[in-house]
Amino acid sequence: MSVNQLPDSRPFKVSFPHMGNYCIPVKTLAEELECEIVLPPKMTRRTLELGARHSPEFVCIPFKYNLGNYIEALEKGANLLIQAGGGCRFGYYGEVQEAILRDLGYDFGMVRLLGGWKLRDHINDFKRVNPRLTMMRALRAYRLALRQTRALDAIEDYVRRNAGFEVEEGAFEQVHAAFLGELDTARDKRTIAEIERRYLAEMATVPTERPDDLLRIGIVGELYVLMEPFSNLFVEKELAKRGVEVHRFVTVSNMVSHGGRKGPEHLADLISRSGDYVRYHLGADGTESVSMTYQLMEQGFDGVLHLKPFGCMPEVNAMAALQRLSREHTFPVLFISYDAQTSETGLQTRLDAFCDMLRMRKQRPGAALTAGPAAERSTA
Amino acid sequence: MKHSDEYTTHMVADERAGANQGGTITVQATIGLPRSLLFHKYHVLWTSFFEALDVKTVTSPPSNRAILARGIELAVDETCVPVKLFLGHVDALRDKVDYILVPRIVTLAKDETACVKFLGAFDVARNSVPGVRLLEYNVDVANGVYERPELCRVGQTFERSRRKVRRAYDHAKAAQLRHASALADLQDEALERPGIKVLVVGHPYNLYDEMLGKPIVDFLGSHGAEVLCSEFADTAKARVLARKVSKDIPWTFNKELLGSLELYRSRVDGVIFLVTFPCGPDSLMTELCMRSMKGTPAVMIVLDELQSEAGLKTRLESFVDLIAAGKARRLSGGDVR
Repeated sequence: MSVNQLPDSRPFKVSFPHMGNYCIPVKTLAEELECEIVLPPKMTRRTLELGARHSPEFVCIPFKYNLGNYIEALEKGANLLIQAGGGCRFGYYGEVQEAILRDLGYDFGMVRLLGGWKLRDHINDFKRVNPRLTMMRALRAYRLALRQTRALDAIEDYVRRNAGFEVEEGAFEQVHAAFLGELDTARDKRTIAEIERRYLAEMATVPTERPDDLLRIGIVGELYVLMEPFSNLFVEKELAKRGVEVHRFVTVSNMVSHGGRKGPEHLADLISRSGDYVRYHLGADGTESVSMTYQLMEQGFDGVLHLKPFGCMPEVNAMAALQRLSREHTFPVLFISYDAQTSETGLQTRLDAFCDMLRMRKQRPGAALTAGPAAERSTA
Repeated sequence: MKHSDEYTTHMVADERAGANQGGTITVQATIGLPRSLLFHKYHVLWTSFFEALDVKTVTSPPSNRAILARGIELAVDETCVPVKLFLGHVDALRDKVDYILVPRIVTLAKDETACVKFLGAFDVARNSVPGVRLLEYNVDVANGVYERPELCRVGQTFERSRRKVRRAYDHAKAAQLRHASALADLQDEALERPGIKVLVVGHPYNLYDEMLGKPIVDFLGSHGAEVLCSEFADTAKARVLARKVSKDIPWTFNKELLGSLELYRSRVDGVIFLVTFPCGPDSLMTELCMRSMKGTPAVMIVLDELQSEAGLKTRLESFVDLIAAGKARRLSGGDVR
């Protein structure tokens, strides 16, 4: 809950870090500030290199990507940066990033949102940016952005489940791109609902060939590397290439549904459905990772991928439980850690081995985890 | 957040019912205290509490190579070194005691949190050390779960009389506070002594650990430096002072470190930041501190499980030499740094 410093003079040029395609709903929110919006350039290797160069050595990787986004946005002329809070270390990024950017000589203002996701808490911060902002307007924009988010998550969920079986390569990606283009400009609920319906229908007509013995894999882990495909080296696409039906449950839609007042209830529910592998909340997404893995195992999924930034403490807490679960139930879990040096080739080899192992298990039910220690403990 | 409270009692009642039918352990039980993590903060509280209840406690030996090696074996690769040591200590106690005490700390004040490893310590120990029996108590002040009733609940497994348990807690808490203020007095004395003074900023579980901070503190002492430890600072005062360095920092224990830095910064000749790899809160806090250290010599030392002593000693030696030379120059009226 703190606006620390606004730029010296208007007009403000607002920017915020990337995370997946969520820049679309965030843009809808930011428009209410009545400032020019400067989206950071698309993520590239340079983003990471810039971020990593100026970040503390062993800070988690989302910090480095965010910092890279900020630097590239400042280069494009932005002068007001927004950083949202979160659980764990995420909530404290803003202050340190601001200090780093100032020492680099940039002149800018920064809005650091602390204290969770409550809109009311943030309204006053933003009123200083745009005095004409009212609670009503903010609420309207928030609902609209949320509707966009839900449409986005619904479509992307469909893509994850089906892209692995498309007959013509890139068919889903094409429809997905067209959808994003339309969603970007939609500014009322009815249009958004219509776009969502239309594209879901269109996707249903994309020809697919689903084999009888397809692999179903769930992805769990830390929210940023789950939701920013560039940071996870496009792991979902890589799985699709290997003919896998991919399921992921950490999305902004779900975070909103399970956040706020419903948070404690949701956590209690997760813990009660974790097979006693968790008794207390592990912090951030840790509890969810364990509980979802347990639930997916019960639902007959073939395996689970656990993704996290290197050193992510909530997920390390979860890994202790996941390793035991994997051992006791002979359930395949592949652990992947991301830092600035994680290589694509390494990831691909591990995915190949994991998928091969899952296929072999399918042919010989009850077989041990033949990928051996790799499935139990290792880091990419 | 009512659920967490109910949940705790439920789970614990459940677990103990298996251990003994009556709800209270009548046969003399022994409680193990792992000499790691929060032990270095709460050992007086725990030992006096159980002593007052006539319950025997066993503390694991100071960290050694075997404990570290076992901890590394049990822990997830990326776990921070203190938690690896913690698991080693839990394992060392496993066959020697009936229960091992593991607190779970979420928040100690409103709008603050503890590092995530304290949220997970109980579940991590349970999942990583096979066949271990744990006693836990949960502290989440922001959500109305306090230390006194929680620790008293643990006490009631051994003593039926509520009054006796509460009295034991109050007695133990007073002893802990006395201990802390005695340490603060020692610190003040050190400040008065002549000679170069070095402030070591680090978490108590690192500073006082035989494998991590203790050799460093001893080494500095043997090189003629007066060593001040960040932990001794007055907690309430530390919180206020911490805001001068960081407005947003959410971690209680880091606030104490920052506060001590502010408190002693102008009165010491050098500051050493002692960090263990890959500590989440410290990765950010130290970055901010190093950027704010204009004028006072500061060095950041990152400890991991593969320490090379020679390299470390060379760095410490040259740091002490550097600040000693600087101080001599200033005292002789020469140029100021």
